[in-house]
Amino acid sequence: MSPTSRRRVAAMARRNLLVQSRNPGHWFLLLVLPLVDALLFGSIGVAFGEGDGPVELLVTGIILFHLIWQLTLAGSLGLLEEVWSRNLMNLIATPLTEREFMGALGVVGLLRTAVSISVIAVVGVGFYTVSPSSAGWVLVPSAAILLLFGWAITTFVVALTLQYGDSAEVFSWGTLVLLMPLSGVFYPVESLPAVLQPIAAVIPLTKVFSAVQEGLATGTVAWAQLAYAAAGTAVALGLAVWFLDRQMRRFRALGWVTRFT
Amino acid sequence: MTTHGPGTVLTARDLRKRFGDTIAVDGLSLEIRRGERVGIVGPNGAGKTTTLLMLLGAIEPDEGTIELVGEPLPGGRSRAMERVGFAAGYLPLPDRLTVRETLELFAALYGLEDPRRAVEEVLAELGITHLAPKATESLSSGQGTLVGFAKAVIHHPTLVVLDEPTASLDPDVAMRVRDRLEVMNAEHDTTLLLTSHDMREVERLTTRVVFLRDGRIIADGHPTAVVAEAGYPDLETMFLAEAARRRGEEV
Repeated sequence: MSPTSRRRVAAMARRNLLVQSRNPGHWFLLLVLPLVDALLFGSIGVAFGEGDGPVELLVTGIILFHLIWQLTLAGSLGLLEEVWSRNLMNLIATPLTEREFMGALGVVGLLRTAVSISVIAVVGVGFYTVSPSSAGWVLVPSAAILLLFGWAITTFVVALTLQYGDSAEVFSWGTLVLLMPLSGVFYPVESLPAVLQPIAAVIPLTKVFSAVQEGLATGTVAWAQLAYAAAGTAVALGLAVWFLDRQMRRFRALGWVTRFT
Repeated sequence: MTTHGPGTVLTARDLRKRFGDTIAVDGLSLEIRRGERVGIVGPNGAGKTTTLLMLLGAIEPDEGTIELVGEPLPGGRSRAMERVGFAAGYLPLPDRLTVRETLELFAALYGLEDPRRAVEEVLAELGITHLAPKATESLSSGQGTLVGFAKAVIHHPTLVVLDEPTASLDPDVAMRVRDRLEVMNAEHDTTLLLTSHDMREVERLTTRVVFLRDGRIIADGHPTAVVAEAGYPDLETMFLAEAARRRGEEV
């Protein structure tokens, strides 16, 4: 990446951070939502479980889910902010490339993720004496796969936003709301209704959360499950990038920019 | 590889664009040389905005080629836009930023090494340094347009593209924008390409008018020569006659 390109990514990341820091709604999503989630799932673990196991499972699960959640929010809301303020045409008429734009969303997403999981980790340690690293080394590859899967969802939502504008906002929430119960964040997928289990089985996230649950129970790293999840995530990412590229071509060919002016 | 001649800032060849059943641009060819002041005019639906957006790489033509400041589109769009500025009277500034932050953002996007210095310079040149700490949402329409204009020229572009640059501005602010454009053109040989519904503004600002009808060029030349050849006393009368003709066709 050239120095000029880096400056553009940094400038867009700064723009996103300034906009989000001045919007109370973003602070709520960044700090209050993870705090509430940590308290909610931590307390459920204490109330219905025996020993540290359930609390560890629930707090670790919510930390990992926020990895995807915050990354996706930063990406989709980053573009939506430009749609809402009708700034898209201003940006298109500069040297900013699509990759630089997405790069800036990624930087902001990672920062949001770091803040959000720190909040949950502090609550976990402070109120429930649960270490965020209870599952051991399995967390490292799991986090990497989750971030890549989150980026696939972000890319998909950005591609939809180019066509549907702010109507696509629902996808930034809806996709994850659908995935949360199906991917067995807090329970083995065998707990799901039988009809949903085959669907859950093909979602890469399911294997990640299953590997983490195994790590918590046995301290081992379920490499086979992680390899399946990594392969599935690579497919999802490839499809999302293909879809975004297709949408960008349609954006230029069909003059969608006029919807945002 | 560049195909246009020396001193040429923009070359468009045989551009065609269709949206469904509507032909927006129909075989338009245009060459603009450095330092020219060109106005694209025509009634609503003539193809002005589609043409401008194609020339900026925001819309891809169905047919035809575009070379912008020596870079073929769409591949060279990013490099080309480092030397092109764009402002539209109808586009708001990004919100939740101050004027200084907004201009720093665009200075960085244009690849300037010292955005802060560039911001101070452009604010001083336009006499709006006092607006720097203000939130963009708090600006009046005229102040917003001036800042939008500052955003478009902060990197001293070779070509400035303006879509309705002084729409809904009070006469004083409109005059300041026009004066600044004339100074840039005279001192830096900056090329101007604008669309406007204000024919007096076009006559004053441009040395060449490209008149569009149904996506095609029907007249191209100095404003005085264009209206004389068409048999009208001035550009506004020609514009009104063309608009009336279009209304008649629509009826």
